[in-house]
Amino acid sequence: MNSCSKCGNQQIIIRKKHSGQSLCQECFIESINEKVLKDTRKYKLLEKGDKVLVALSGGKDSVVALHILNSLREKNIIDMVAVTIDEGIKGYREEGIEIAATNAKSLGIEHRVMSFKEYFGRTLDEMMGQDGTGHGDTRRQGDTEPRHACTYCGVFRRWILNRVAQEEGATKIATGHNLDDETQSILMNYLEGNINNLIRIGPKSESRDERFTVKIKPLREIPEKEIGLYAIAADLNVHLAGCPYAGESFRREIGGFIKELSRDHPTIMYSTLRGFDKIKPILKKELTPKGNTGECRRCGEPAAGELCKACSFLEGWE
Amino acid sequence: MQVKVIFGEENLTEDVPEDYTIKELLKKLGIPSETVVVKKNEAIVIEEELIQEGDTLEIIKVIFGG
Repeated sequence: MNSCSKCGNQQIIIRKKHSGQSLCQECFIESINEKVLKDTRKYKLLEKGDKVLVALSGGKDSVVALHILNSLREKNIIDMVAVTIDEGIKGYREEGIEIAATNAKSLGIEHRVMSFKEYFGRTLDEMMGQDGTGHGDTRRQGDTEPRHACTYCGVFRRWILNRVAQEEGATKIATGHNLDDETQSILMNYLEGNINNLIRIGPKSESRDERFTVKIKPLREIPEKEIGLYAIAADLNVHLAGCPYAGESFRREIGGFIKELSRDHPTIMYSTLRGFDKIKPILKKELTPKGNTGECRRCGEPAAGELCKACSFLEGWE
Repeated sequence: MQVKVIFGEENLTEDVPEDYTIKELLKKLGIPSETVVVKKNEAIVIEEELIQEGDTLEIIKVIFGG
């Protein structure tokens, strides 16, 4: 079948192995827009009047999420603000920030750039000792090996996003997580036995604590390759580069493994996600930790113990 | 037959046989097809697309891992 399954156009840009569907450029863009908005309704990710903070790195995923959600802003269903986190990764982050700003400006969306340096007094490069100072052994008491950059980056990014969401009065935080990211998270957390993190995976965060702004993942059921294709097909300005710290992460190993499997089993990511979504309510019911979340004595953000994760890292370095 | 290949900063001229597909070219260049989008003469094409003499192929990496 060498013509578009929807309109018959001979110039197709994708042949989906998992469904057999072929699509031309126009129908592909339309199908992704429809799928994302359908999932947004299906999982009740948004309500009329929501103010959505989009975590905008400038990469393909967050830029695509920004553009698709903007269609709801144009219809006055939601309001939006875009926030880019400058982790301080020299030679990598600068271009992403510029591209993020250009996208937000082109759509007329307010854009803020928040940095690790400003909030935590040091860049990610400084945390990891990549700034030439020789500092940055990220070991804390009890650690046998230095921690990976992704551990710090994730914790500090979430801290800033939650803080800025409160400042902005945002009711939702939207991220660009895609199908590949979600299946990687499911597999990683299962293999590591990290059940607390495993039961938090889903299209929408469900914290009982109102101090955590609800996080949503509108692209959760779109494969990463299709988001890349969408960005090129829709001629979006996206930052196409890999984070220099991602190289040796466990996520990358798992990602490679799933991609390899997907070659001969094209539905494997969908079935992993579907299967997990079916058992999650049972896992959640049985395994959600009891007890209320307290307050970090240092920053006042919600924390399970005396300190939130971000502050426990910061105190460990002082 | 000869085709022009653009991959990132690289501009290459590749010799390929008749009835060669994008998929075969990517394999020859050692580029995993699931990480790239390919344009043939500025139009996005699928990996089963046949390459013709004088084509310009732009290979755009969209997946970086991590």
